Amino acid sequence: MLLAALAAFAVAGLLFIPYGTDPLSAYAFLFAEAFGSLRGFGFTLVQATPLILIAQGTVLAWRAGLGYVGFEGCFVLGAAAAAWLALGGTPDGFPYALPPALFFPAVLALSFAAGAVWAGMIGVLRVRFRGNEVLTSLMANYVAAFIVQYLVSGPMRQPGSLPQTPRLPRDTWLPYLIPEARTHAGILIALVASGLVAVLLRATPTGYEIIASGINARAARYGGIPVARRQMLAILLAGGLAALAGLGAVLGVQHRLMDGLAGGAGFVGIVVALLARLDPLAVVPAAILYGGLEVGGAAMQRDTGVPSAVVFILESLVVLFILGSGLLRGWRLPLPWSGRWRATSRKAAE
Amino acid sequence: MLNQAFFVTWLAASVGLAGPVLLAAQGEIFAERAGVLNIGLEGTILLGALGSYLAAVATGSTPLGFVAGGVTGLAVGAVLALFYVGAQASQVVVGIVFNILAAGVASYVYDLAAGTSAPTIGLLRPVHLPVLSALPVLGPVLFRHPLPLYLTLLIVVLAQVVLFRTRFGLALIAVGEHPRAAHAAGISVARMRVIGVLLSGLGGGLAGAYLVTAQIGLYRDNIVSGEGFIALAIVIFGRWSPLRSLLAALVFGGADALQLSLQLFNDRVPAQVLLCLPYILTILAVSGLLGGRAQPAALMLPYRKE
Repeated sequence: MLLAALAAFAVAGLLFIPYGTDPLSAYAFLFAEAFGSLRGFGFTLVQATPLILIAQGTVLAWRAGLGYVGFEGCFVLGAAAAAWLALGGTPDGFPYALPPALFFPAVLALSFAAGAVWAGMIGVLRVRFRGNEVLTSLMANYVAAFIVQYLVSGPMRQPGSLPQTPRLPRDTWLPYLIPEARTHAGILIALVASGLVAVLLRATPTGYEIIASGINARAARYGGIPVARRQMLAILLAGGLAALAGLGAVLGVQHRLMDGLAGGAGFVGIVVALLARLDPLAVVPAAILYGGLEVGGAAMQRDTGVPSAVVFILESLVVLFILGSGLLRGWRLPLPWSGRWRATSRKAAE
Repeated sequence: MLNQAFFVTWLAASVGLAGPVLLAAQGEIFAERAGVLNIGLEGTILLGALGSYLAAVATGSTPLGFVAGGVTGLAVGAVLALFYVGAQASQVVVGIVFNILAAGVASYVYDLAAGTSAPTIGLLRPVHLPVLSALPVLGPVLFRHPLPLYLTLLIVVLAQVVLFRTRFGLALIAVGEHPRAAHAAGISVARMRVIGVLLSGLGGGLAGAYLVTAQIGLYRDNIVSGEGFIALAIVIFGRWSPLRSLLAALVFGGADALQLSLQLFNDRVPAQVLLCLPYILTILAVSGLLGGRAQPAALMLPYRKE
C-alpha cells in the first residue's frame, strides 16, 4: 500500500517537469506550504474539516453495507439549514434570532437533522423497498443542489446581488482557533465526531452489529441482529455528519449561503475514507494529508504556475494505485484479444 | 404563449439539448446490461470533450475533432475496463475516483496544451435534411440539427437492434443478469464486460465531442457539468433500453428547454422545480416503490471465475 502511494507520488511528480520545476523541490515546497508553518497548517485544517466529516459518514454507511454516495446533497442541505437559522430575525431566515448559548446547540441539531433526513429517505428506499442506493443517492445530489439553488435565487436571496443570502450576523460565525489562517472551530466538531464514530464502531454492541450487517446481512439477520435498523442508524448518522461539513462551510468559511458550496468535497471525502480503508481513526490523518495537498497545490499555482489540478491527479492516483496493486501482483488480465485469455476461458468451460 | 410556434421551438430545443446525453447513454446501456455501472461516465465525457477540442484546434477540422473525441473515449474505456473487469474492483469506488482523476487530468492537459491562447473552433452547422426538414412541425423539431444528432438517432436504432435482436446482444444481457449461468453456457463474462465498458467509453467520448463541436465550440474546465450523471439517469429512467432512453432523454431535455423559455415569460414557476422533476422521476424508477427490480440483476457485482 505504501508502495502504491509512492508510485502515485512518482507518477504525479513527472507532471511538474514540463513547467520547469523538478519534482523533489516541488513536493518539498508543497509540503512546506501545507505543514511548515502554523498559518499553513491552519489552512490545511480548514480544508481537512469537511473531508473528515464526509469520510466518517462514508465509513459508517459503507461499513453497514450501503453504497451511499449522496454526501454532496447532505452537505448543501446542512449548509442551507445552518444559514436559515443563522439568519434568524431577518426576513430570510428563522423568525427569531437566538442568543448564542442557544444558537450553537440548535444549529448543530438542525443541520445534522437536515442531512440525516435527506440520507434517511434514501435509506428507507434501500432498506424497505430494495432500491439501488448508489443510483438514488447520486440523483438525490442534484435534487438537493436545485433546492439550494432555488433558496438562494428566491426566498433567501439578498435583494439586488448575486444569487446568495445576505452575510450572516457576526454572532453566528464559528469562532476562529488560529485567526491568521481563519481556522474555525469546525475542526473540533470533526475531531469529536471522529472520536464518537471510532467508539461506536469499535467499542459498542451497536457498532459491532452495524459492521456485521455490512459484512453479511443474511448471516447477521440469522444471528438476531436487526439489520434494517442498524443500516438505517448508520445512514442517518452518515447524512448528519456530512451536513455538519456544510455547516462548517457556511458558519466557518463563507458566512453566507450560495450555490455550488460543496464543490466536490462530497466525493473527495469518499476518496479519503477509502485511503483510510474505512477505519475511523485513519480518516483523520488521511484527511489532513489531502487537505494539505490542496493547500500546497494552490500555493504552488500562485507561485510557479503549475496548475493545482496536479493535486487532484495525485489524490486519485494514490487510491487507484492501491486498488490496482492487487491486479499488478497477480497480472492475469483477461482481455478479449489475448491468447492466454482464450486458453483460460476454455479451460474454465470444460 | 402556448401557441404552435412556442411549442415547435420548445420541442426543437428539447431535442437539441437531449442529444449529447442520449449519445452517452447508448454506450452506458451496454455497460450496465453487461453488469458494469460506469459512474466514471462524467469524467469520460470531459476527457472526450478535451480530446475533441485539442484535435480540432490542431488539425483545424471540426469533424476530425469529433472523431478524436470518440478515440479518446475508447482509450478511457480501456483504462476503466482494466479496473472494472481486470482488477474486479468495486465499481462505485473506481467510478468516483476516476471522475476526480479525469477532472485533474483534463485541467492539467488543457493548461499545458492550450495555455492562455484558446481559440474557438468552427461549430458543426445544422444540416437541413432535404424534404424532411420542410415538413410542418416535425421538420423544425427533428430535421434541422447538426450531424451528430442524426448520428445519435441512428445509433439509438442500431443499439436497440443489436441489444435485443442479435446473439451478441442477448449474450451481453445474459452476462448482466446471471454471469454464472452465462459462463456455463460458454459466454465469456470478462469479454462481454470489457466490450460493454469500451462502448460506454466510446459513447461518453463522442458525447463530449458532441458538446464541443456542435454546441459550445470551445473548452473550459467546467464544460461538462453533470451530463454524465444525467446520462446515467436516462439509462435508468429508460429502463436499460435504447428506445426508451430516447424518451427519457427527451424528458430531461424538455424540462431543461422549458425552464429556459419560462424564464423569459414569468418567474412564478421556479426553474428548479422543472429541473429537478426528471431526477425525482429517476429516483422513483430505481426506488423499488414501483415494484419489480428493473435493473440488470448482476449490476455492480464483480464476477470471479471459480
